[in-house]
Amino acid sequence: MGERDVDERRAVPRELRGLVEIQRFVSDAVRGLDDIPRDPALAGHAESLIVPSARGMTPPERLEVYREQFWLRHLANLDEDFPTLTWVVGGREAFRALTTGYLRACPPRTWDLQRLGADLPGYIARDPRWGSDPLARDAARLDWAFMEAFDAPDSPPFDARILASTPEDAWPSARIDLHASLRLLPLGHPVHDLRLALQRGAEVERPVVEATHVVVYRDPACFLRTMKIAPLAFELLETLRSGTPLGEACEAAAGASQSDPSEIGERLGGWFQQWTAEGWIRAVRFEA
Amino acid sequence: MGFRERWSIPDLGVGVGFRKPHVVQVLRERPAMDWFEIISENYFAEGGIQRRNLEELSHAYRVVPHGVSLSIGGAEPLDAQYLGHLKSLVRRLDAPWCTDHLCWTGIGHVDVHDLLPLPFTRQTLDHVVERVKRVQGELEVPFALENASSYMEFRESTIPEHEFLAELAERADCGILLDVNNVFVSAYNHGFDARAYIDALPADRVIQMHLAGHTDRGAYLLDTHSDHVKAEVWELYRRALSRCGATSTIVEWDESIPAWDVLAAEASQARAVRDAVLSTVPREQPWASAT
Repeated sequence: MGERDVDERRAVPRELRGLVEIQRFVSDAVRGLDDIPRDPALAGHAESLIVPSARGMTPPERLEVYREQFWLRHLANLDEDFPTLTWVVGGREAFRALTTGYLRACPPRTWDLQRLGADLPGYIARDPRWGSDPLARDAARLDWAFMEAFDAPDSPPFDARILASTPEDAWPSARIDLHASLRLLPLGHPVHDLRLALQRGAEVERPVVEATHVVVYRDPACFLRTMKIAPLAFELLETLRSGTPLGEACEAAAGASQSDPSEIGERLGGWFQQWTAEGWIRAVRFEA
Repeated sequence: MGFRERWSIPDLGVGVGFRKPHVVQVLRERPAMDWFEIISENYFAEGGIQRRNLEELSHAYRVVPHGVSLSIGGAEPLDAQYLGHLKSLVRRLDAPWCTDHLCWTGIGHVDVHDLLPLPFTRQTLDHVVERVKRVQGELEVPFALENASSYMEFRESTIPEHEFLAELAERADCGILLDVNNVFVSAYNHGFDARAYIDALPADRVIQMHLAGHTDRGAYLLDTHSDHVKAEVWELYRRALSRCGATSTIVEWDESIPAWDVLAAEASQARAVRDAVLSTVPREQPWASAT
């Protein structure tokens, strides 16, 4: 028994200890990989806690109903959430082998099934088979970005008239708040194109290596979209998101992407128009 | 004064669960339907299409949230963040009540996402009563617990499920969501009398009913919500209505979800059954004089 177990037991009121014991056993057993009736230790424990059914089911068989449901429910959920990764690892069967390991290593920690795959990109990166495959890592990150963008908080629509009415000298100190759904992904492959092709049911091939800067976002009509953007625009968005004022962010972005600072000046107006139309800008704040 | 009267529980008629395959059609065509039930947790997020759809739905229909993850029988403290989300949802919908299941869903910071059965003991009863009181107090609307389908029973249990649920409702002063299909499924799996179960519940506390289909797995019935309501379940529904009077009812269909027309027809059948039973029940609510 580990130190953590001892502490948890101390925190449990005496009258609830029986309930805790039952719930711990059932929770562990239904998340297990072993068929409960075939595992002597689990079957024996089930016999001691559960009554046989009126229809002739043994206690381990009754508990097994819940184990089957646990795996059906959670694996099906992840299938839906990671379509690109499923294709990259070789299809449904291979993906289920992967997610079975994932659910053992990272059991569901929240009531929110939408968050079931939150640790899958990290798990993939550590996995001995897939961690060394940059395409699998990209696919996992992209699919998860879609999940996060899906139900990120809404914002009131941004009033674009502010862009035209603000005096030019006020802009360098302006801070730009981006929409909460925006996910900025530096990728090694254009996996966003792969995901789109899969969605359309098109024939696809393994993407070639190509540095790609992608934004995953929810547009004003609530559709989930991706857009490939220039490295300079990507750097600028990253810097703005950290709360850096626009003037400083432009200099930093130009430095980070080894671009000519004048290039930002030339393209900034167009970018702002596009970012506003796509709903990426939530608010512009000026120094008081 | 009884529970229903005290809380002025309305009779919403017969509705269905609001599910993904029907979202576009329902929001675009606004088909005739008395009311909708939603899965609470699907609408906790602060943004996105689900929130927007719910807003539209609740402008056109009465909507009641039905949760699957409160874990009222869990051995660990209630999740305050979860309760906060639920309260906010109830407010947004101006929901007349809110429901979840008599079950537990996880322990040790792991959520199994299933409606797991409890050992029906005095200790468990005391524990759940206190938690229900807290939930109902925080939500500030009537809270009702549904009898969940189950596939196993614990040796430790000393109280029959229907007695546990009845005493829980009385002591915690909460409502009951009577899932008629679940009574049938559990009665088959555990070998108890489904009719006696329904007869033993305090009729005045039954504020909602559920109907659904199930799957026969031979040695047991599985509550799949994947088919039409079975004949035996319709029969139990008639019995429950005779005891409880006009009670808001939802038809649930969650797997192999059919076209909207098929689901709506199932709700129409429930409405017809309900009307037929209620036409034979005295005008005053039968539970009004029940003790």
